[in-house]
Amino acid sequence: MAHDWQPDFEQLVDEHQSMVFSLALRMSGDRGLAEEIAQDVLMELDMNLRKIESPLHALCWLRRVTMNRSADALRRRRVRGIDLWVEIEEGHGARMEESSSPLGARVEQLLATLPEQQRAALVLRYQEDMTPEEIAETLETPVATVKSQLQRGLKLLRAKAANLNEYVRGA
Amino acid sequence: MSDVGDEFGAEMREAMQRRPAPPGLKRKVMEQRTRQRTLRLRSHTVLWQRLAACLVFVGVLAGAFEWRQTQERRRGEEARQQVLTALRITSHALDTMKAQLAAHDRDGQE
Repeated sequence: MAHDWQPDFEQLVDEHQSMVFSLALRMSGDRGLAEEIAQDVLMELDMNLRKIESPLHALCWLRRVTMNRSADALRRRRVRGIDLWVEIEEGHGARMEESSSPLGARVEQLLATLPEQQRAALVLRYQEDMTPEEIAETLETPVATVKSQLQRGLKLLRAKAANLNEYVRGA
Repeated sequence: MSDVGDEFGAEMREAMQRRPAPPGLKRKVMEQRTRQRTLRLRSHTVLWQRLAACLVFVGVLAGAFEWRQTQERRRGEEARQQVLTALRITSHALDTMKAQLAAHDRDGQE
């Protein structure tokens, strides 16, 4: 299909590196791994640049590929027998808090305790402000499943921290 | 979704602002891109060189085959010409003998 928009790779990196990195960080919980994932995703964008038809397409493509690559990275870690979140609790947690607000750090710690699918849905919902329909499209999951994952994830989070601000103030 | 607009949802949104990317990320990506492009270009050059070498080889083989065919055709033509010459000589000799025999028969009748 012919399209007039000419993607500028450097500009796309400038615009989306923060989004890609944040998604990878909140999914993997490891700053180093998140940087690796972000680098791979942006390189993959370069390889697929000709297929990108519009700025919106670039954004959706990057979200989808970042979520997939993060899931792959977590799977690889599990296969290798490394429990990522144990590592985070032991040492990487401190690194995750770098340049983040206390509230943000606490949310990230709580997110880390959630199952992967619920975490993915919540990250896309609250970081990217996406609707359940958009999340369903990104994660290639039925909308009903996304809604139930969001509800369950939120319920779990509420159970762990009734009021995040209160927790942070108390911390 | 029921969470939209409630306090918890707002806190979540506030807490989950995008984090800035590490300062070196863009530089690393651009460097890796340059490296990969160079590698790709190099592998393309090698591919074209191999393709050109293959074409030259095929050309040489085809040329040799064609040359051999031409030589064989030329030799065949030469052999045909020799046979025709031999036939012409034989025919001429037979004509001479026939004329001599006819002259001999005429002499005998007289």
